[in-house]
Amino acid sequence: MIEINNLSYQYNNGSKVLKNININIKSGEFVAIIGQNGSGKTTLMKHLNGLLKATDGKITVCGMDASKTKTSILASKIGFLFQNPDHQIFCSNVFDEIAFGLKNLEVPRSDIESLVNEAAIKVGIEMYMHTDPFSLSKGQRQRVALASVLAMGTEVLVLDEPTTGQDYSEGLEIMEIVKELNLQGITIIMVTHDMELVALYAKRVIIIKDGTVLEDGPTEEILAKEESLALSCLKPPQIYSLAKKFHKQGFFKDSYTVEDMFDEIICYLEGERDASNG
Amino acid sequence: MVEYIQSDSLFHKLNPITKLLWTFAVLILNDPIAIFVILFSNLLIASVSGIIKQILPVIKALFIFSFILILCQIFFVNEGKTLFYAIPYFNLGKVTDIGLDMSLVMSFRMVATVSTIPILMMTTPMTDMVVVLVEKLKIPFKYAFMFITALRFIPTFMGEMEQILQAQMSRGYHSDTKNPFKKLIIIIPLAIPLLVSSIKKIEKMAISMEVRGFASGPRSNYRKVSMNTYDYYAISVFIIIIIGSLLFL
Amino acid sequence: MINIQGLSFYYNDSKEPALDNINLNINVGEFVGVIGPTGAGKSTLTLCFNGVIPHFQRGDFYGEVKVDDKDTVETDCARLAYSVGSVFQDPEAQIVSSIVEDEIAFGLENLNIPREEISTRIKESLEMTGISDLRHSSTTQLSGGQKQRVAIASAIALRPKVLVLDEPTSELDPQGSQDIFNILKRLNDVYKITIIVVEQKIQLLTEYCNRLVVMNKGTIILDGPIRTVLGKQEILEKIGVHCSPVTHLVYMLKKQGLYQGELPINVEESYILLNNVLRGIKDGV
Repeated sequence: MIEINNLSYQYNNGSKVLKNININIKSGEFVAIIGQNGSGKTTLMKHLNGLLKATDGKITVCGMDASKTKTSILASKIGFLFQNPDHQIFCSNVFDEIAFGLKNLEVPRSDIESLVNEAAIKVGIEMYMHTDPFSLSKGQRQRVALASVLAMGTEVLVLDEPTTGQDYSEGLEIMEIVKELNLQGITIIMVTHDMELVALYAKRVIIIKDGTVLEDGPTEEILAKEESLALSCLKPPQIYSLAKKFHKQGFFKDSYTVEDMFDEIICYLEGERDASNG
Repeated sequence: MVEYIQSDSLFHKLNPITKLLWTFAVLILNDPIAIFVILFSNLLIASVSGIIKQILPVIKALFIFSFILILCQIFFVNEGKTLFYAIPYFNLGKVTDIGLDMSLVMSFRMVATVSTIPILMMTTPMTDMVVVLVEKLKIPFKYAFMFITALRFIPTFMGEMEQILQAQMSRGYHSDTKNPFKKLIIIIPLAIPLLVSSIKKIEKMAISMEVRGFASGPRSNYRKVSMNTYDYYAISVFIIIIIGSLLFL
Repeated sequence: MINIQGLSFYYNDSKEPALDNINLNINVGEFVGVIGPTGAGKSTLTLCFNGVIPHFQRGDFYGEVKVDDKDTVETDCARLAYSVGSVFQDPEAQIVSSIVEDEIAFGLENLNIPREEISTRIKESLEMTGISDLRHSSTTQLSGGQKQRVAIASAIALRPKVLVLDEPTSELDPQGSQDIFNILKRLNDVYKITIIVVEQKIQLLTEYCNRLVVMNKGTIILDGPIRTVLGKQEILEKIGVHCSPVTHLVYMLKKQGLYQGELPINVEESYILLNNVLRGIKDGV
């Protein structure tokens, strides 16, 4: 799906932002890319749809060479949801806004209406089709932006800080929609520094530090590596930190969520009670 | 382009008045050679001040623009010895030596004078400019501040523009069309988000200023902008150059 | 310090109140966190402390807001600036000047403070926020976290007794966010400045504040010491406010009757009390 080989990127003044990145992402994965500000994670993200072109190395997205293809063409395969929906909203009603991407991809008029309606239903804004998007709340505008990307039917969806600037329930709504999409087979790449979010949704974590890949592996494994996270000025999710403290005592070795820990505690205490009674 | 770039160069140390005087001095001179010298000295000043990388694109753009100006002007001058014709077969587009001279003077003067402005902006902190405008040129504080702040916001809005363009391109937006009418319509997906986000930013800025007592009464000045020795040397050099060129060229 | 009675506010052309009968008293030296879902009225409330409402933002204003014994309706923003400093979400849109020290001088110049005094205050503000080395730096080349520190320094240059911040870490990464809160803690502990912060990052907020105010639909629904407020998780969940995972875990144990003490706000506290729970000790710490 996405193959990155020895990708490097440097500015005109010679400073190297990305150095020899090698990453392979298969269809259907849910990957989180994390790292501190300035690590190069956003720069890497922008290579995925050709917004930035590599100065060295190769990047293939859905069969297309992302360094040689225009972003507007790559947009049919890989969709982006940016942090600020106000950077893209410009239509006088939600329908047109969602249809924008489809018009750019020259989708036949007859198909546009059904695709737009489908996307709107998926994110739960079908009641606002004729509303001026500027009159909606920020959370609703973010969902319009999401519908706008979904309508384009891309195989890959890249999320840039999906929960920044939103309250918990708004962020949760968006993430649940994204989770559903992943279950339907869409590859998700999420760039974020919200560790709780990563723990809840991502199956694979890549840590970028100083323009290189520091770690790349399954979520539970990488989020447990406190030293690597510390190098990137990141902290593990609270539950991971708490669970780790009990590992020596033999507890919570496979507990990664609040529910897991709770269940294990209940089981253990019931076991103790039975043992002392029986 | 108009962002203040911090440095400790000689030019940074000069009083804005001195720099403004230098900007105007170029207008007095008429000889193409003198103007060319000024242009060269601008580049020299820019490199000494550490801003040459930012100035070169500006100079390039100005030259392109001035070339267009030359084309507009040069064919309408008939005096003087004919040098050549642009379209020889039909004897159209006469270029005379006086015409060439005038066009070159005009274009070089434009490049030389206009290029002093970004150099001025890049080597002078905004507040110093405001102080000079208010104290020496007697412009009311509100207007001076408005003007300078508008300039200060240019890099911010350019940054927003970049983000908007990237967001729209990621939705398949492209601007390659030859049709000039289409080119106007195609601006809309960029213009509207920029307008909206600019207005929002300005509103936030206004509140931030309001809660720090902006325009609530008489105002003190933290920065003192005064003439120092370098300024007097610089002004003397300008005067000598101007007199010298008027006399000898 | 801050006394609010019966405050209601309707934005222009709005039939729904943005603030509905708010009563709030904040004492000197407190570190108050304000949380709630989007649209709860948190930002609107902060604008009432510094006078932007009603002087700058039009609408229908009812009730009374007194800050440092000054009525915000009768005192203009400039004079309120001596008592209340404000820091907002967007680092870009708060900075007016091109050099850090000019930015800090901005408010002082506006209020006609003499030059020598300005110089002293700039130095102090920079020390209090730990950015003395940035004094002569260009503001456009700073990181988001540094810009916010400059915004804080600029706000406290007028020596306000209260500092009000509206989601100051919204656009910052975890390290930047932590730095800001460390500065706020220092301002509160060492310099006795009352801090009021609106935040969505509850995990971070609860490690620093000592009082939590929860808003929903324009009203204050909970107000008290953090652990007490966090204990009302059902109410919080219902309005869409989510606490730290460790707090939630212990809350679940409490509901099950396995624990009776106070709720923890960080991993260390959770570790201690969880240890005790596993040993069958219900009281925890």
